[in-house]
Amino acid sequence: MDVIDVIVKIITWPPLWQLVVLGLVAPLGVVVGILWFERKTAARVQRRFGPLHVSPRIGGAIQLIADLMRYAFQEIIIPKTVDKGVFLIAPLTALVLSIVPVVAVPFTSVSHYWPIPMEYSVLISLALSTISAIFIVLAGWASNNKFSIIGGMREAYMITAYELMIILAILSVSAMTTSYNFVDVVLAQTGGKWFIILNPLAFLAAFISVLMATSGFPFEIPESENEVVAGPFTEYSGLLYGVNMGAAYIKRFVYSIFITLAFLGGWLPYQPGDGFISGYLIPSLVIIVKATILMAVFSFLRAVYGRYRLDQALDFAWKLLFPLALMGFGLGLLEAYIGLIG
Amino acid sequence: MVPPKPVPKTKPRRGIFHAFKGNLEALMIGVKYFIDPKRFTLIYPKEYNKLREGYRGFIVLIKQKCINCASCARICPAAAMKMIRIPEVDEKTGKQKVKNWPVIDYRRCIFCGYCVDVCPTEALYHVPYHDVVYQNMAEMYLDLESFQKPPEYKAAEEGIPVRYIVDEERGLVKVPYKEGEK
Ligand code: SF4
Ligand code: SF4
Repeated sequence: MDVIDVIVKIITWPPLWQLVVLGLVAPLGVVVGILWFERKTAARVQRRFGPLHVSPRIGGAIQLIADLMRYAFQEIIIPKTVDKGVFLIAPLTALVLSIVPVVAVPFTSVSHYWPIPMEYSVLISLALSTISAIFIVLAGWASNNKFSIIGGMREAYMITAYELMIILAILSVSAMTTSYNFVDVVLAQTGGKWFIILNPLAFLAAFISVLMATSGFPFEIPESENEVVAGPFTEYSGLLYGVNMGAAYIKRFVYSIFITLAFLGGWLPYQPGDGFISGYLIPSLVIIVKATILMAVFSFLRAVYGRYRLDQALDFAWKLLFPLALMGFGLGLLEAYIGLIG
Repeated sequence: MVPPKPVPKTKPRRGIFHAFKGNLEALMIGVKYFIDPKRFTLIYPKEYNKLREGYRGFIVLIKQKCINCASCARICPAAAMKMIRIPEVDEKTGKQKVKNWPVIDYRRCIFCGYCVDVCPTEALYHVPYHDVVYQNMAEMYLDLESFQKPPEYKAAEEGIPVRYIVDEERGLVKVPYKEGEK
């Protein structure tokens, strides 16, 4: 066995593959593309050009690389008044914890390529995905700055609003398939019976609550720059700020993967075969492409919507979204009862 | 006259379906603009806005027409137009004398156009542009020589002219400027 074989073996070891390649490298590529798309789309709809002059021929696509480099080389300023340890640890932990749920979801139906046993993957991944938000509140608290604290409090309010809805909305697919296993959920959608068609209510609830969870427009409340500068991230600069933003986008990407698996048919219509390429690589790619499209839709909303006030958002979440999620859950149960799901 | 009575604003209709419809309409407009963007950004150095005749831009003096009446300096609300004394030789009598001539200080001028309007002999006129660059503040206080020349319009040398028109359907639209248009 030579070196390349060993390296390939290590990279394609399922936990590492999902954590590093699908959890970190793929989102980074997707995020750079999506950020560019977001800015271009917002500009198109608002009748501007967006990034352009960096590379006029490809529509300013290099702008994001330039921004990334600027973040990387910027000085990281740690103010005297912050709680240094927490200030440094919070964004990094948030980043790591927002990647972790990727390891608890299946990217293929071949059990050989699951990083962990998948019997309770829906529950485990949802549970893992809820941890990282607390570190954003923590980052705001450690910054010792009024904008950060207000932003952190807003985030905390939003957590109470969205967390339950996400879990309810995604668990409604468990109700439909009577299984906590994402593999069963995906396989139940074989033959075009995607749950977005069978249960649009739950999909809508999941979609909106993910928007809330990742502070996308119109719920970009914790970080709204014309009220609280950058919310919990006000005191961060340079790469740490980039890490914060990256964590938010990776979180959105992970939630997009959840929604893809739960409602958009996961790796279907592709049937995973044997071997690494057809059993693991292609299904993961299918899922990532679907998640990317979902991310693009999330970004598109930025161009259309303004920003809700915090009270409006909470009002919306508890008075409209919560019943919607419950209705989705009920619809799922009903469909399972009358035997609509194979 | 009796002031008009305040009309109470009608409350916007509330309701889930109304809100849903509103959201859907907003999204549809977004999609519409996404497919057919109606951009009107002026890509400045490459394009420049060809302004219409009568635009109150920079001001130029025609010295031959000026009768040194100082009306322009008196009416100027920003004290930008000033009269300066320049000694010269009278052509007929050959005697030494001093005359007052107007000069302009663009650090103060607000481009109100009063001086052009008030001038009894139409010795002042506007050029239809305003994007002129000076390298320092002192340069913006013109002397009599430079006040008689239209300021250099760099954008016109490098860019292509465009016009903005208001379209019934599309709103503000950028169109290329056709030669000879007013
Ligand atoms: S345009 Fe107005 S402000 Fe400028 S010099 Fe003439 S009168 Fe004065
Ligand atoms: S008002 Fe006209 S004529 Fe009189 S000084 Fe000014 S430029 Fe000359």
